[in-house]
Amino acid sequence: MAARIVRREQINGWLFVAPALVLLGIFMIYPILWSLWMSFQTGRGMSFSFGGLANIQRLTQDTVFLRALSNTMIFLAVQVPIMIVLALLFAVALNDTKLWGRAFFRTAIFLPCVTSLVAYAVLFKSMFGAEGVVNVALTAIGIGPIPWLTDPFWAKVLIILAITWRWTGYNMIFYLAALQNVDRSIYEAARIDGVPPWARFWYLTLPMLKPVILFTTVISTIGTLQLFDEPYNITQGGPSDATLTLSYYIYNLTFRFMPSFGYSATVSWVIVVLVGILTFVQFMVARERKRT
Amino acid sequence: MSSVKLSGVRKSFGSVEVIKGVDLEVDSKEFVVFVGPSGCGKSTLLRMIAGLEPITEGELEIGGVRMNDVDPSKRGIAMVFQSYALYPHMTVRDNMGFALRFAKVPKPEIDRQVNEAARILALGPLMDRFPKELSGGQRQRVAIGRAIVRQPEVFLFDEPLSNLDAELRVHMRIEIARLHKELQTTIIYVTHDQVEAMTLADKIVVLRDGVIEQAGRPLDLYDDPANQFVAGFIGSPRMNFLPASVVEKGSGSVTVALAHHDGVRLTLPVTGAEPGQDVTLGVRPEHFGPAGAGGADLVLDIDVAEHLGSTSFVYARAAGEPLIIEREESRNGDETRITVSIDPAKAYLFDKQGQRIR
Amino acid sequence: MRADLAFSYIRRGLLYLGLSVAAFVSIFPFYWMVVGSTNTSPDIAHGKVTPGTYLLENIARFFEMVDVPRMFWNSAFIALVGTALTLIVSSLAGYGFEMFKSRFRERIFAFLLLMLSIPFAALMVPLFIMMSRLGLINTFTAVIVPGIASIFIIFYFRQATKAFPSELRDAARLDGLNEWQIFVHVYIPVMRSTYAAATIIVFMANWNNYLWPLIVLQTVENKTVTLIVSALSYAYVPDYGVIMISAVFATLPTVLIFFLLQRRFVEGMLGAVK
Repeated sequence: MAARIVRREQINGWLFVAPALVLLGIFMIYPILWSLWMSFQTGRGMSFSFGGLANIQRLTQDTVFLRALSNTMIFLAVQVPIMIVLALLFAVALNDTKLWGRAFFRTAIFLPCVTSLVAYAVLFKSMFGAEGVVNVALTAIGIGPIPWLTDPFWAKVLIILAITWRWTGYNMIFYLAALQNVDRSIYEAARIDGVPPWARFWYLTLPMLKPVILFTTVISTIGTLQLFDEPYNITQGGPSDATLTLSYYIYNLTFRFMPSFGYSATVSWVIVVLVGILTFVQFMVARERKRT
Repeated sequence: MSSVKLSGVRKSFGSVEVIKGVDLEVDSKEFVVFVGPSGCGKSTLLRMIAGLEPITEGELEIGGVRMNDVDPSKRGIAMVFQSYALYPHMTVRDNMGFALRFAKVPKPEIDRQVNEAARILALGPLMDRFPKELSGGQRQRVAIGRAIVRQPEVFLFDEPLSNLDAELRVHMRIEIARLHKELQTTIIYVTHDQVEAMTLADKIVVLRDGVIEQAGRPLDLYDDPANQFVAGFIGSPRMNFLPASVVEKGSGSVTVALAHHDGVRLTLPVTGAEPGQDVTLGVRPEHFGPAGAGGADLVLDIDVAEHLGSTSFVYARAAGEPLIIEREESRNGDETRITVSIDPAKAYLFDKQGQRIR
Repeated sequence: MRADLAFSYIRRGLLYLGLSVAAFVSIFPFYWMVVGSTNTSPDIAHGKVTPGTYLLENIARFFEMVDVPRMFWNSAFIALVGTALTLIVSSLAGYGFEMFKSRFRERIFAFLLLMLSIPFAALMVPLFIMMSRLGLINTFTAVIVPGIASIFIIFYFRQATKAFPSELRDAARLDGLNEWQIFVHVYIPVMRSTYAAATIIVFMANWNNYLWPLIVLQTVENKTVTLIVSALSYAYVPDYGVIMISAVFATLPTVLIFFLLQRRFVEGMLGAVK
């Protein structure tokens, strides 16, 4: 009798998770493995043949790929830290119940996260044109117009500004939630203990927030490594590939030029490998810090 | 050095006044307990002494020095919070030593003080654990240890035992009493549990709605309550209150007739009441005597009797009015009626406003 | 002490200044979008920040250039159907993982978490070939189906289910319900707010989806709002007035949902934090 009940539990367990697992198997596991297999195929269009490591070799000599890689890494290295720090500062500031207009600021800073990536990208494109509203404002305060869309450096800055605008609020909400889960009396105890405010932030808030900071950093890393919508809609990857990202390059390889599916699969596996390495590194760093 | 004095202290949150004029003196090394129902302001008062809430009006002195605007860390106080407020990402040792790091105390001295506090609280084997690995009672001891390390003049406790189970609470009560004896510091302790108040305090301060109802030694509050609220709050089970009216006044005594119970009469050694006055008679459950023991006799229907072995609590009813009687175990589960007597010497009289009539 | 007080006032002031700048920067593009939809394209390109009188004209031209109802229908269909299916499949799985624990399934779950880091970029090529071989290019099916099983939402429901009292399930079992009935009649009603929060997240993700629909949907009649907005901006001479209107159309649903259900929305994201 007991065995029957246990078996029924098992069957039910599988039944509940089966639809999801089947779908994931078909649309995630199968494609990713297929993609791995494809990355070893060379050839154009639908005719491919095994090419061994030829694709990987092609990677190393592909200047466009290298530029996309470096662009993506630059975005990652610059944008993610800035955004995390900003989000943290906002969250700490907005966690103070005595702050006037708290709900307003919180809603305002989060509002960008409600927009679709395309819509806001298009908005930014219209705001940062050569004679657009941003340059008009800059000229008015004496800095003068900046060639946002036509200069490689400023185009990158623009992308970073856009992403930061869009996602800071999102991370801020995570930090706010975590902060609200913290027992307020811990800060009161620290006050009575004579711990100064900066030390309360550094020695108490930050360590207590570590799990959620790790979580957001990992998600942001994965997101930034796959950056597509913004470069596609604001700068079209330009000027001259200055804002071309890995995902954008894959898109081009597959859907713009004569597709060589094998090679684009290879490039996409570069992203997989990067995500894997960076996520692993971030987790390791987090574990290390626990000692201090 | 560690006396605390509150003079005319008031506190308002916006337009709501929660502390309405409190005067209190706590002597050095005294164990004072603030007790009262939820919302009476006891925690607020404690937090004002700690410096976590600003004082709207009035003066606070610690050790004779005015402390109204002094930073909490400089008042010579330490506080144990209801939730213990331990730093979750630090070991017990680091938790206890954290404050001293910022007082620029040299490391060997920090270690010495931390170890000393650990010894007092028997925390030795737990020093390298994290709070989440500790039980409730252990966390509590760490919280106390953290406070001890700062060597405060005044210890503040905010409902420290509320989150513990019954048995642990008894154990920790004894620990805290022992601590007081060993450390010889002033303690101000907040609780809603009158048993804790009675057992721990040198002086109990009963608060209600932001006002001190009565302050004094535990047994004084038990024997001689100043009003009906204190009489009902102190002592468990609760004192019984019976409506009555004064029918006769003699020299040095007053006779009242109970509103129910067929107008049974009782004469008490009280002088402050007048005939015709509506009063309330208070009798503690443990002060009923057997039938015919003198005073007045009441006949009651038993609702439920709880047999605890050596005593029993009888929940009785007469004329729809509930009464609790505590008496020696009768081991008779079939009784449906009992007759008890009231000893006038142990009864209390209160006027319509709840003030004690003496 | 007075220096202390002054210092804290300055700090407060800087804080409010910083927050106000952040709020302004955050809100300005929305203002820009709304004002832009009342101006002409050249005006917008030259940074006019005041409202104009061309709102109706822009709207008219928008409706001329784009089959607006059709576009809306496309997005709505994909978003609604996709959301419904995702919720069903993912909540079933989240419930299943949490309520019927087994060592093997725990390992599978851990594996799923790892899979969260698989970038869509790695999947889009094979998925495209797959859809193309099935002849499903340019269909809504191809857009919706790959995204139904969302690991993130499965994880979210599993976390939420931890707060679901298992005594309810025991009581229902004693009442004679089978597992499926328990899920439908006990679990779903009790977890209403979790479903609400999840609906918001999934709906928004589906409504705002860009890259995959871009790859799959080829003909104009099938394009979603996001694709149309993007296409308009790619025109040789972009008509910014119309683009602004289209952006408003793209953003309005999500903004409305946000303001109506703010608390649930934030709750939804916070659920993942725990």
